[in-house]
Amino acid sequence: MTGEALGFYCLSAVLVGSALAVVLTKNLFHAVLWLALALTGTAGIFLLLDAEFLAAVQLLLYAGGIVTVVVFAIVVTERLVGERISQTSRHIASGAAVSIVLAGLVVKAIMAGPLTSIRTPMTGDVTALIGETVLTRFVLPFELLALVMLAGLMGAIYFARPED
Amino acid sequence: MGLQAYLTLAAIVFCIGLFGVITRRNTISILLGIELMLNSVNINLVAFSRFSGDVTGMVFAVFTICITVTEAALGLAIVILLFRVRRTVTADQLDLLKG
Amino acid sequence: MTGDGMFALAALLLHALGFLVVALVVPLRRLGRPAAYFSILCAVGSLASALIAWQRHIGGTASRLVWAWLPADGQTLTSVGVLADAESTIMLTLVALVACLVQVYSLGYLSDEPPAALGRYYAYQSLFAFSMMGLVLAPNFVQLFICWELVGLCSYLLIGFYYQKPEAARAAVKAFWITKAGDVGLLIGIVLLWHQSGTFDLLEMQGLVESGALPLAGLSLITFCIYLGAVGKSAQFPLHVWLPDAMEGPTPVSALIHAATMVTAGVYLLFRTEWLFALTPDVLALVAWVGAGTALLAAILACAQDDIKRVLAYSTVSQLGYMMTAIGAGFATAGFFHLLTHGVFKALLFLGAGAIIHAVHSNNLPDMGGLARRMPQTAIIFLIGTLSLAGIPLFGGFLSKEEILGAVWAGGMTGPFVILLVVAFLTAFYMFRVVFLAFFATPAAHDTHPHDPPMAMALPLWILAVLSFGIGLYFTVAGPALPFGPAEAAAHGPAWLMPVAVGSAVGGILLAWLTYQRRIIDAGALAAAFGPLRTAAQKRFWIDDVFEAAYGVVLLGFSRAIGWFDRYLIDGVLNVVSAWTLTSGDDLRTMQTGRVQDYVYGVAVGLMILLLWVQLA
Repeated sequence: MTGEALGFYCLSAVLVGSALAVVLTKNLFHAVLWLALALTGTAGIFLLLDAEFLAAVQLLLYAGGIVTVVVFAIVVTERLVGERISQTSRHIASGAAVSIVLAGLVVKAIMAGPLTSIRTPMTGDVTALIGETVLTRFVLPFELLALVMLAGLMGAIYFARPED
Repeated sequence: MGLQAYLTLAAIVFCIGLFGVITRRNTISILLGIELMLNSVNINLVAFSRFSGDVTGMVFAVFTICITVTEAALGLAIVILLFRVRRTVTADQLDLLKG
Repeated sequence: MTGDGMFALAALLLHALGFLVVALVVPLRRLGRPAAYFSILCAVGSLASALIAWQRHIGGTASRLVWAWLPADGQTLTSVGVLADAESTIMLTLVALVACLVQVYSLGYLSDEPPAALGRYYAYQSLFAFSMMGLVLAPNFVQLFICWELVGLCSYLLIGFYYQKPEAARAAVKAFWITKAGDVGLLIGIVLLWHQSGTFDLLEMQGLVESGALPLAGLSLITFCIYLGAVGKSAQFPLHVWLPDAMEGPTPVSALIHAATMVTAGVYLLFRTEWLFALTPDVLALVAWVGAGTALLAAILACAQDDIKRVLAYSTVSQLGYMMTAIGAGFATAGFFHLLTHGVFKALLFLGAGAIIHAVHSNNLPDMGGLARRMPQTAIIFLIGTLSLAGIPLFGGFLSKEEILGAVWAGGMTGPFVILLVVAFLTAFYMFRVVFLAFFATPAAHDTHPHDPPMAMALPLWILAVLSFGIGLYFTVAGPALPFGPAEAAAHGPAWLMPVAVGSAVGGILLAWLTYQRRIIDAGALAAAFGPLRTAAQKRFWIDDVFEAAYGVVLLGFSRAIGWFDRYLIDGVLNVVSAWTLTSGDDLRTMQTGRVQDYVYGVAVGLMILLLWVQLA
């Protein structure tokens, strides 16, 4: 077993386990922490895929940004509610069945597909390549994305404005 | 490890996220499920990109991450607003779409 | 010469003008009397035109004035216009005369009507006369049928003139339906005939018949169908039941229907197409026998009626039977002649009866009596009409009746001849029964003081009285050559015919005199002698009951079955389907929980099914 395979299995175990914990744990706060772990695991997967830049972005934005925001939201709402928000679920059996069957079907499709297992070698610095591509070929989507983020953030501020 | 392994992992994480979205009652928890699903999509994008040797997939992953962050911020703002208006964060009681 | 046709056309169109103006100019119609004056003006003009047209065609020349209509395959399927010849113009004159006199008379008779109703009445009257003239002058079967239906419609409207009265409304519907039953036959006959001959035109078809080009196969069915139409319109057995009920209309309307417009249409149709019927002797024999039977039946029924109008109505049915018998015997001219004289004296009788009713305010004979002293003019007039109907020499009806009896004898139909002789006896009897009961018997207790009718009513009566007497006198003095029609072999019966006919009429008068005037023969005993017959007559021979039963059991039963089927099966199925739709919609609605999660769930399930389908297929 190569080091890559070992890393993949370990990271997969962490990722799947923490993801399950996210959707199953009762404590909302814990769930967020499990999510942080899952996101970090994903960053590890990215590393395995030679995407160091993305791994960094993942850690910074997701694990750092999103988790912070969510924790913030939890704290705010809990303060507004005045009690601990407990986590309950519904339709667990049927939801699980649908999810499992769906996963099985998708995996079956993946296994049936003619997919390569050979990595095409990538020349040069991947991060530099990403940066170049973003600012040349995808410059228009990139700018649009900036607009979307701006609009989204303004919307978020508008929603969260103090009540008149 | 081949492409199939990564895709399988992504599919499993996606379905776990879907399970969360379907079953959770708390709005914030639903958002967490959505994050998981988006995350698995990112794994797919990066894996395809890596195995095909084309950097485009990674660029899209960057885009997705950005949009996800925006979505998370916006979603949480909506949750807070919802709470203000309806005094609840339980998705069961948010059924204004009912016909 | 087309110029001659113009007068006939003018006579026709003047009534159309009268109708259109009165019907469409609503303010005029609402005014009542001015509308009536306008309509009468048109009627007088029409009468004048008709008289001129008659004079122009008296020699036997025919003029045809048609316009193409209904283009089909490069040629015209049929045309509209007028076919004016000796027969149609004299009929036209009769219609114009009666229509005109009836309109004048109505001015007095309906003077108590509200103005709007009066306007409506005159609109119908003009349309009625127009329709009948269109029928009389029709150059082809299509125009004839259209006018035929219009006549039916107008009679429906006029019989139901007092539409607030349930009996009148019912009688109108009855007349409409029963004549319609015959009209279906007529329509089928016309279409079949067209199929056989390829033309609707009367003259063309006559040419075909005379050259022998018309195939004879199946012609009996065609003539029978056409005859069915005449049975309905001319009230032959068994479709005669509508005519007595038609008495619910105003009396002038009855005069119009009975004398000139409605019921004569059937006889006129047969007379007009006699060359066609001549090809089918079987049907002609049927016409004769049914005619004679109808004549007898109606005569018996007339003896048992107490309503003066009903007596007259049955006498019309009876006389129509006479005409039909003559046509069936092969002497259509004789029937047509009787049609003309009958038109005059029956109009006279009805208008006279109208005068009586107007004065007494009752239709019932027992309510009258002794009127001869109070209404001398009316008595004289009515007596002239009665003598004419009874067939007493020097009066109009005598000649034509004589003609018919001779024709039937000459046609070799002994059975119908005997029946007609009996009918002549009965006719005289029941008519004089009316005369004696109404004018001479001991007066009933009157609240009112009957008097002779006003000028507007008296004038038409006198004109008609002079005519019915004058026609008889003229022909008796000037000789019996008929002033119209192809010079048919004049149907002179044997020498003993006239005495026998007159004898039976006088016998009838004598019996009536003895029974109702001298009271030598007790009316009750007479009735008892004919007990079963009288009972049957009072029940109208159960013919109405048969129709009613047929209607009640067959038609209503069928309708009820259909109604049940519709209400419970078809509606039931629809109700079940709609209920299902509603409940399933309600059930489906619960799927829309309004929770976004459930929709995501649905998407997931859908995706699952899609994947399953893709992978398993």
